[in-house]
Amino acid sequence: MSMAVDSFAASVRRFSPRLVLSELLLKQWFEPVVPFTVMIGLWAYFALTIPDYASVQNSVSLLRLFAEFGFVALAMGFCLVTGGIDLSVGAIFALCNFAALYFLLVKEWPVGAVVPATLAIGALLGSINGFLIGFLKTRPFLTTLVTLIILRASVNLLNTGYAQVFATNSVDSDAWDYIGGGSVLGIPINAATLFVVLLVCHIFLSRSRYGWHLTAIGASRKAARHAGIRVRLMLFFTYVLSGTLCAASGIFYAARQASTDSTTGVGWEFQALTAVVLGGVSLAGGKGTVWRAMIGALIIFLLINGLVRMGIPGYVTSAVTGLILLAAVGIDVKWSKNRGKAIQKIYVNPAFVPLASAPSVQRGSASPYAQNDRLLKAEAIGLDQVEGPEDVILDRQGRVYGSTRDGNVIRFSGPDFETREIFAHIGGRPLGMQFDREENLIVAVAGMGVYGIKPDGTIFKVTDETNRTWYKLNDDSRLRMADDLDIAPDGKIYFSDCTTRYEMTTNTLDILEGRPNGRVVCYDPATKTTRTVINHFYFPNGICVSHDGKSILIASTSLCKIFRHWIAGPNKGRTEVLIDELPGNPDNINRASDGTYWLALVGVRTPTFDLSCRKPGFRLRMVKQVPTDEWLAPALNHGCVLKFNEQGEALESWWDPTGLSHSVLTSMREHKGYLYLGGLENNRIGRIKLDGVDDDWNGYDAYWGGKSRVKG
Amino acid sequence: MGFFDHFLRDVRSVIDRDGGQNAIPPLDGALSPNDRLDTAVPIGDALPGIDDVISAGDDAIYVSAGRSVLKLSGAEFATRTLVAEFEGDAGGLALHPDGRLLVCVAGRGLAAIDPAKPNPRWLETADGRSFAGLLSVVAAPDGRIFAVEGSTGRRPNEWRHDLMEKRTNGRLVMCNADLGNPQVLLRDLPYPYGVSVSADGKQLWLTESWAHRLSRFALSANGLGPGEVVAANMPGYPARLHPDSQGGLLLGLFARRTHLIEFVLKEDDFREEMMATMPPDHWVAPALAGGSDCLEPMQIGAVKALGIQKPWAPPRSYGLLVHLDGEGEATDSLHSRAGGRFHGITSACATRDGVIIAARGAGRLLRYSGDLR
Repeated sequence: MSMAVDSFAASVRRFSPRLVLSELLLKQWFEPVVPFTVMIGLWAYFALTIPDYASVQNSVSLLRLFAEFGFVALAMGFCLVTGGIDLSVGAIFALCNFAALYFLLVKEWPVGAVVPATLAIGALLGSINGFLIGFLKTRPFLTTLVTLIILRASVNLLNTGYAQVFATNSVDSDAWDYIGGGSVLGIPINAATLFVVLLVCHIFLSRSRYGWHLTAIGASRKAARHAGIRVRLMLFFTYVLSGTLCAASGIFYAARQASTDSTTGVGWEFQALTAVVLGGVSLAGGKGTVWRAMIGALIIFLLINGLVRMGIPGYVTSAVTGLILLAAVGIDVKWSKNRGKAIQKIYVNPAFVPLASAPSVQRGSASPYAQNDRLLKAEAIGLDQVEGPEDVILDRQGRVYGSTRDGNVIRFSGPDFETREIFAHIGGRPLGMQFDREENLIVAVAGMGVYGIKPDGTIFKVTDETNRTWYKLNDDSRLRMADDLDIAPDGKIYFSDCTTRYEMTTNTLDILEGRPNGRVVCYDPATKTTRTVINHFYFPNGICVSHDGKSILIASTSLCKIFRHWIAGPNKGRTEVLIDELPGNPDNINRASDGTYWLALVGVRTPTFDLSCRKPGFRLRMVKQVPTDEWLAPALNHGCVLKFNEQGEALESWWDPTGLSHSVLTSMREHKGYLYLGGLENNRIGRIKLDGVDDDWNGYDAYWGGKSRVKG
Repeated sequence: MGFFDHFLRDVRSVIDRDGGQNAIPPLDGALSPNDRLDTAVPIGDALPGIDDVISAGDDAIYVSAGRSVLKLSGAEFATRTLVAEFEGDAGGLALHPDGRLLVCVAGRGLAAIDPAKPNPRWLETADGRSFAGLLSVVAAPDGRIFAVEGSTGRRPNEWRHDLMEKRTNGRLVMCNADLGNPQVLLRDLPYPYGVSVSADGKQLWLTESWAHRLSRFALSANGLGPGEVVAANMPGYPARLHPDSQGGLLLGLFARRTHLIEFVLKEDDFREEMMATMPPDHWVAPALAGGSDCLEPMQIGAVKALGIQKPWAPPRSYGLLVHLDGEGEATDSLHSRAGGRFHGITSACATRDGVIIAARGAGRLLRYSGDLR
C-alpha cells in the first residue's frame, strides 16, 4: 500500500515554459530585461564591428562621454515618474555649461564657488518650471517647451557675447582639470559621480517616503492628493532636482570641453526622452526606476556614438532615434495596458493529473462507497444562521463552532444549539479548526495564515509566513490559502497551504491546473518558527494527526488520494500513499472514536472530469473559451462522509446523494455519539446520531485528555 | 486538434463571424426566463418515456409514452385508454383528416391505425432505406403525410450519439394518404425533429435540432417549394411543433445549449474518448433530465449555495416551451429553469382546457391553463 510520493512528481512533466514566462512577467524586475538585452546586444554588435571598441581604453572614454548625458536622462526620468515631462533639460544643461564657464573665466571665481553657484543656477531654472507646474498647475509639456525656447534663446544670445572671451581666457586650476579629466579607481570622475548620484537617487526613489510620494503622484495625482501627499510641493522639488542634475551635467561638460556654442545640448531633451521611455519608464507616469532610465540612456548613447563612428550621417542617426522613440512609446502604451491581460492569458497552465481509477459508488453494491441515504435524516443546527461552515468543531462544554465565509467563527450553544453568537471575527476565510492543549481555538484562515482564538474570544496571530523556496519565481513566503490544520502531541501545528499560485476565490483554477502548487507547513510554538514540511503537493486539504501521534494524514483534493507523512519514529520524514483510490475529492480528515478516521468528500469524481484531468490541453482551452460559471467540475452537489482505518481501508460511507441538505460537504466532527457536519457552501451545520460508538468520546479528550491513544 | 487547427479556427472566427460558430444567444425578449412552466399541473400518474401529445379533437388527447399510445379523455383527462402497443418506442403522433392515427415507431416505421381495423398499416422504407428513427409525422389537409427521420437508420434513443458524432443524416419524407409512394423531399438534415403543416395546407414548418433552427417551406401539389430559415441559432434544441389552434405554433425545446457542450463539440479528441469510454448519461451532452446522478458532469456555476440551486446556473437540463405566431416569431415562453421540476419538453398541444405539455425529462404530462400567446 505504501509508496514513495516522489514517483508521482516523476510521473508528471512539471516544467512548463508558459508557466515560467507567466511568473516572470509578474516580476517588476523582469520588465527592463528586454531593454537590458538590447543594450548588451548593441554593445556586442559594435564590439564586433568596430575595431578596439571593447578595449578598456575605449570603454573608459565612452563612459566619460556618456556621463553628462546620463545626468540629463536621469533628470528626465524623475520628471516622467511624477507624470510630467521636462523638455528644458537640454537648455538648462547648456545654460549651466555657460554659467560654469562664465563664473570661472569671466568672474574668475574659485572652483569651490563655481560648482555650487552653477548648481544653484540649475536649481533656480528648475524652480521656475517647478513653480509654474507645481503651484500654477500649468501643463508640464507646454511649460517646459516654453522654458526650452526661452533658455535656448538666452544661451545663444549669451554665447555670441562671450564666445570670444571663453576662447581666449583659460584658467590654471588642478581641481577644474580634475573635474574635466580625472579618474577615480580608473573610472572617469564624471561617471563615478553619476554612479554615486544614481545610487542615492535609487534609494531615494525606491526606499524613501518622498520617492514613494513621487511615484504615487505619477500614478494618480488625484489619489495622491486625497492620500494627503503634498503634491504641489513635491512637483516643485522634482523640477528643482531636474534642474540641479542638469547643472551637474553642465559643470562636467564645461570642465571637459571648456567651450560653449549654439549646438551644446541641442536635441538632448529628445534623446533623453527616447532613452528613458525606451528603458521602461512609463510616459504615463508612476512607473520607472533610475536603472531603467540609465539602461535606456546607455542604449541611445551607444547607438548614436556607434552610428557616428561607423560614419553614418547625423540626420540618419536623428531619424533612427526618432523611430526608436516612436516604437518605444507605442510599446509602452500597449504593454502597460495589456500586461495584466497577457499574464492572465498564460497564467493557468493545466498539467496531466495522474489519477488512479475511481472505485464504484453504485447504490446497493458491496463497495464501502456505495451510495445510501444515511445523511438525509441529519438534523439541522443553525439553519440559515451560518454561511458556509467549512469546518465544525466542538469544545469540552459541547458547544459547536463553525468557520464561516464572512470571516467569523460562529458558536452555537444551549440544549438545542439555539443560542447563536459570533465567537470571533477574524476576517479572511476561516477554514480548518482545532483546539490546542490550552483550549485555544487554532484556525487556518485563507488569505491570512493561522490564527488563534483564546477561550475569551481574543484573537492572536500564530503565523502568516513560512520559508521562501529559493528557486521559485513566485514569492511563496506568504501563506496564501491555509486550509486545514491539526496539532501534534508536542504542540506543533501542521497545516496545509493548498495553493501558492491562486487565492481562495480562484482556487477552482488550481484544481483545473492540476499541478502540485500546495504545501504542508509546520509551526513550532517552542521556537516560534514556521517551516515548509512538504513542498510541491497536489492541493493538500485535510490534515489530521494520527491517533498515535506519529504521523499526519494529508488529503490531496486534486489527486483524490490520502497520504501519510511520518513526523516521528523510524520513518520520520517519509511520505507515503495511504489511500490510492478514492471515488471523490477528499476534504477534511478527523479522528473517530474507535481509532479510525472520518473523511469528507467534497466532490464526487465524474467520468467526464476524470477524462479532462488526463487532457491538460482540453482544460486549458476550456478555461480560455468557456465562461467561468460553465467550467466542468467534479460533482459537488451531494454529501458524502466516509470512515477509514489506520491501514487506509475504507470501511463505510454516509451519503446525501443529491445534496438535499448537505451539498459540498467539507467536514465532520465526532462528539459524544454524534457526528457534526459542515459544508463550504451550506446554510446549516448538520448532526446525526452514531450507533455503537463511545458516547463519552470527544475531540479535546482524544487529543489532550484521557481518550488519547498516544503511547508513552 | 493540434495547435494549427486551433489557430485556423481562431482566424476563421474573425473572418467569418457567422460561420457555424454562432454564440449562444441569451434568453431575451419573448424568451425571457420565468418559472411559469413549474406552475403547470401534472395530469394523473407519471408516464415514463412520454414523448408526444396531440389533440384528438373531441376533448381528448393522444399521448405516446414508452411503447404504447394512450388516449386520455374525460374530466381532467383522467380516463386512460390504451390505443396501441408496439415492439418499439412510440414517438411522434398525428391525426389524419380521415380519422386514422399516425404513429412513428422506433425501429419499425410509420403506423397508420384505423379505429375500425385491428391491424395497422405500415410504411417501413423510403429510397431503399428503412425507417428506424422517425420522430414526427403530420398530415396535410389534402391527406398527404409528411414525416421526419432524425438520423437515417438510427433509433431515436441514440440521439446523443447523433449530436456528438456531428451527423447530419436526417430526412424529410412525403407519402400519400394510403402510405404509398414515399418520396424523400430533403436529406442530410441535422436532426430534423418536428414537422407541422399550416391549417391552410400551404406551408410546412420544420425544426432541425442540431442546427438550432426553424424553417418553413411552401407546399404545392407536387411537393416542397422554396424554403426559408425563420429562426436560426436558437438558445436550445428544438423538438416538436404543434398548432396552437389560433394560427400560431407551440414549440418544445428539449434542452438548452450550454457553452460547455458547444466547447466539447469542438474538442474532437475529448469527445471521441468520452463517447468510447462512458455511458451516454454521463457525457457532456444535452440531457432531458438531470441532477439525480452524481456521476453526471457538473458545471461549477451549478453548485448549490446555502442550500439553493441558483435558477440561472448552467443547466444540466431545462424545460422550455415557446409560443410562435403565424410567422414563426417567438411571442411567449414557459420555463422550468435549473433546479426546476419539468424538464425536457418534447411536445405540447392546445386543447380547450389549456395547453397540454409532454415533459419527457420529468416523465410527466402537464396542463398549463394560464395565458400563452
